[in-house]
Amino acid sequence: MALLDVGVMFAAVAVAGGVATRLGQSVIPAYILAGMLLGEFVLGRVALPSVGTVYVPETEFISLGAELGIVFLLFFLGLEFNLDRLFARGRQIGTAGTIDLANFGVGLVLGWLVFGALLPAFLVAGIVYISSSAVITKSLIDLGWIANDEAEPLLGTLVYEDLFIAVYLSVASALVLGGGDVVAAAVDVGVALAFIAGLLAVVQFGGPLFERLVATDNREFVALRAVAAVVFVAGAALALGVSEAVAAFFVGMAFSATDRVHAIETILEPVRDVFAAVFFFWIGLVTDPALFADVAALVALAVVVTTPTKVVTGYLAGRAFDLDARRSTRVGLGMTTRGEFSLIIATVAVTGADAGAFDPALAATINAFAVAYVLVMAVLGTTLMGYSAPFESLAVSWLERDGADGGGVGG
Amino acid sequence: MTIRESDLPGVGKKFEIELGGGEEMVVVIHNTGKREVFRRSDPDADSVKAFEFSDDLARTIGSIIEGAYFQPVEPETQETTLPGGILLEWYELPPGSPLVGETLEGADIGNRTGLAVVAIQRGDAVIDSPDAETTLREGDTVIGVGTPDDCAAFEEILTE
Repeated sequence: MALLDVGVMFAAVAVAGGVATRLGQSVIPAYILAGMLLGEFVLGRVALPSVGTVYVPETEFISLGAELGIVFLLFFLGLEFNLDRLFARGRQIGTAGTIDLANFGVGLVLGWLVFGALLPAFLVAGIVYISSSAVITKSLIDLGWIANDEAEPLLGTLVYEDLFIAVYLSVASALVLGGGDVVAAAVDVGVALAFIAGLLAVVQFGGPLFERLVATDNREFVALRAVAAVVFVAGAALALGVSEAVAAFFVGMAFSATDRVHAIETILEPVRDVFAAVFFFWIGLVTDPALFADVAALVALAVVVTTPTKVVTGYLAGRAFDLDARRSTRVGLGMTTRGEFSLIIATVAVTGADAGAFDPALAATINAFAVAYVLVMAVLGTTLMGYSAPFESLAVSWLERDGADGGGVGG
Repeated sequence: MTIRESDLPGVGKKFEIELGGGEEMVVVIHNTGKREVFRRSDPDADSVKAFEFSDDLARTIGSIIEGAYFQPVEPETQETTLPGGILLEWYELPPGSPLVGETLEGADIGNRTGLAVVAIQRGDAVIDSPDAETTLREGDTVIGVGTPDDCAAFEEILTE
């Protein structure tokens, strides 16, 4: 039956992906919904005639596949991450990314007001801060914006966010797994940071080693060795209580310096896509939509507050790249999309609860919040990008009026 | 010629090529090898996608544009039209031409075709107003003046 479960899962995400693309939407919400509908919380609550209750259970394979999805998503982020590129436009990306951090502050305040505790607030801050590299990049390509000037601030800010989230995840998972004990948490954060420092040293000095590892024309070996390196290091990290996602990110960074980086990307991209789909399906599977009612107010509040803040910080990011009002508006609209990383942060809470270090009810609430929030923001962001024209003219007319007023006052 | 290159993290590289008159061509090379070609009517306009190629196709098209398969080199004959429909034409004497080795007197070009030979380009030197004793050599460029009919007649005796 386990094989059938997996078969049903893949059939469901395949259909869901096709439907989402047909509707001009991102595939991520579709995968989540597919998981939710087929899971124990929706299909499992329906008694079907003649077969009784059937649903796709959260099998070990599916949850492990989801973990691999996280590992591969972060591995690719590391592969495509390049410190030299970051420094090449460092001033502009630094300005844009630092402005963008305001969203983290907004999330922190929001989380504190709702949960009244630091750790949940810290998680909510991460969830609302991080934009979706996957969805935004795909929309950029689909809309042809990739060839326009707005692509640089969008992708540049995402690179900054990626670096931030790598550090954030290691701290967050250490705090969550520390179980609220300040001393234990401090030790865990210390271990996590030491592990990151070790990985950075490996990235810095282990270049030739990684180069040798994949210096073969045999595609099979390139695939196997890269997968072996990333999954082994991620697994070892998790065993030490360090975020597997962060470990995968740094292994990706180590490979990004090798000559074979494009070969690795080409060969492993389908692997990443398969396991990422499993991850999104799994997120849907473990999310009880009945909890949406409890978090509806929080989600509505977060959407109402964090959509405009992202538009504003994105707009300013565009300005930091010397773009005009119209293109800066596009940057703002594009940045509103949240996706895979918000869900990965929520997974930290779920994993903590499974390990008995985090309040399960709180974890379920935060997970439900993240899923509902991502479902709204992924669709909203993609839609805003697709129908950006009215917002652009609005921004341009406001700016021209402001400019005229300013001139009047000055004159 | 201005070409701007920029990185697109997670996507690939972008090249913006100014074509003059404000028009720009944008080439996006994806990490996957896919190429997209966009056109921008002016620097502030949105890029409009014109073509999308696979890696192999893009390389072939690149070679074609580069001139690997066909180069529009200087044609062997060039002509300039003078007033009254008279042509000033250049002809290179190909190997094996019956005119090679003949003097201008022996070739009797004027009488046979009506074309008047006004100069012969030989290597870097030019023999202007060549006299009757000048011998034609392989590789010489004969510069003549005549009507289109004269030119056509000369083209015939050039190779036969």
